[in-house]
Amino acid sequence: MSDHSTTSEWYKNPAEREVLKTDLLTLNMGPQHPATHGVLRVEIKTDSEIVVEAIPHIGYLHRCMEKHCEGLDYRGIIPYTDRMDYLGAMGMEWGYALTLEKMLGTEVPQRAEYIRVLVAELQRIASHLMFFGTYAIDLGAFSPFLYAFQDRETILRIFEELSGARLLYNYIWIGGVWNDITDGQLRRITKFCEEMSESLKKYHALVGENHIFVGRTANVGMMSKELCFDHGATGPILRGSGVNWDLRKNRTYGLYKDLDFDIIVGEGIKGQVGDCWDRYWVRMQEMHESIKIIKQCLDGIEEGPIIGKVPKVIKIPEGEIYMRTECPRGELGYHLISNGGKTPYRLKVKSSCFTHVGLLPEVAKGQMIADFVATIGSIDIVLGEVDR
Amino acid sequence: MHNELAQLINSNVSGSNAEHVARENGDDVLFISSEHILRVCTFLKSAQGYEFNVLQVVTGCDYTDRIEVSYILASFINNLELILKTKLLKENKDHTPELESVCSVWEAANYQERECFDMLGVCFKNHPDPRRILCPDDWEGYPLRKDYVPAEKYNGMVINPEHKINREEIFFGEKLKREAVDPKKISYSWKKPEYFPDGVPESTESE
Repeated sequence: MSDHSTTSEWYKNPAEREVLKTDLLTLNMGPQHPATHGVLRVEIKTDSEIVVEAIPHIGYLHRCMEKHCEGLDYRGIIPYTDRMDYLGAMGMEWGYALTLEKMLGTEVPQRAEYIRVLVAELQRIASHLMFFGTYAIDLGAFSPFLYAFQDRETILRIFEELSGARLLYNYIWIGGVWNDITDGQLRRITKFCEEMSESLKKYHALVGENHIFVGRTANVGMMSKELCFDHGATGPILRGSGVNWDLRKNRTYGLYKDLDFDIIVGEGIKGQVGDCWDRYWVRMQEMHESIKIIKQCLDGIEEGPIIGKVPKVIKIPEGEIYMRTECPRGELGYHLISNGGKTPYRLKVKSSCFTHVGLLPEVAKGQMIADFVATIGSIDIVLGEVDR
Repeated sequence: MHNELAQLINSNVSGSNAEHVARENGDDVLFISSEHILRVCTFLKSAQGYEFNVLQVVTGCDYTDRIEVSYILASFINNLELILKTKLLKENKDHTPELESVCSVWEAANYQERECFDMLGVCFKNHPDPRRILCPDDWEGYPLRKDYVPAEKYNGMVINPEHKINREEIFFGEKLKREAVDPKKISYSWKKPEYFPDGVPESTESE
């Protein structure tokens, strides 16, 4: 492959570095910067083009959602969970609903389970499409973004019809879902899936195989298995580093145990295992798997009720629980402590993006600034989830 | 799993007082004494048959007399999950109890402990970067404590000035009730008297 490497040769050699020593320049990237995907500020200390130290500053979008939750009833929290990861809101709601259902022992009707998997996987596609588009923009290609948004729009239209909102749905409720899905919508999803599996191949050929794109991402921002475990990275980042781990298989929930799909693991096709290209590739392939899951759901879905028996006023019995689900960006965990009241005593959200920001300083050391932008993009953070 | 693990910890880390607390609902919890948290975590990371190689969460929960800090560990090798807890006594409102940092065991603890300090005021000894993380550096108080009083001013700026509060939104439920065919179906349960210390104000909307 190309001899392009993240760290310049002269930088690796301390003696040469001493000769060329200049003062470090502090550079602020963000909070208003298109490449930081939101209000992330990274304080970079640079030695010419090389990042010596990167310090992420977060909290610009902090709303103390956990404190708000302590004053809300259990149903009222669902819209707040949407506002964490606004690009993958269905996953956020589902995780929360599962946490409460496990505590309450509620049974979810079969149709609702199917709809939940359906919307969660559609959401995964929408979120990964967003990644695909914005990542290409970060690296200088504008047109893939337009293609990605066109397809994402189809999904958002379906969600809008289902829930009345395009991004923040409040759709998955405790014990089921809010609104039933019609046959017409199911047919549209079928059609969308067929078109999508074709266009995904095209998109990959357009971006993933592009020589410039490969040059910018292969062998850049390497994250080893050990680094990922040490920092607690999950989701596509962990899988991109060659670890076969997906909660949908390993700690299965919902209907996933009956569905047939594969876990995509980074193989280092263009460079080494765990580079930016691998993370990109994992997400692209995951969309194919999602389509596979959706097709099985479309075959299996049957008529029936969409919401189970839930008490009118929800009171969670005393105790605590930690529940993890696989969201588009990684593992989402809810740690709920209840004292038997109508509101949670403490609700802690473990967000994957928060952990991934912690990874940045480690990866950034010795990178070129342009490669650092590629690394931030490949991590695919949503600041709403980082700051909560 | 918890009982065996508690015995294993007790026999390997003396004085840790690992205690299995079974819960009727949800997950079981393992309590240990706070002085030995670093040694227990080091042990758990390499314990035969468990190998908790990932630290998921460090968080706390404030009870008026104490703060319970929870460490949620996961093993991606053996597919296990453990809630490890420790109690810290809180002497008064401003007391910040101390605890050993586990950053040397898992790097992930760095950000998690910073968040725990920021939100609950638990000081972690030997932490490489003990700053606030979500709130500004000069913020006062620890928001997730139960006795936290929301600040009125920050650096001379009024927080939530009166003219910026959207009253129309607050009385949205009232409006719904007036206009609904069956007012009983509208509950707006979020509207509680404790949000209005001077009594629930009248609607400012013109009729």
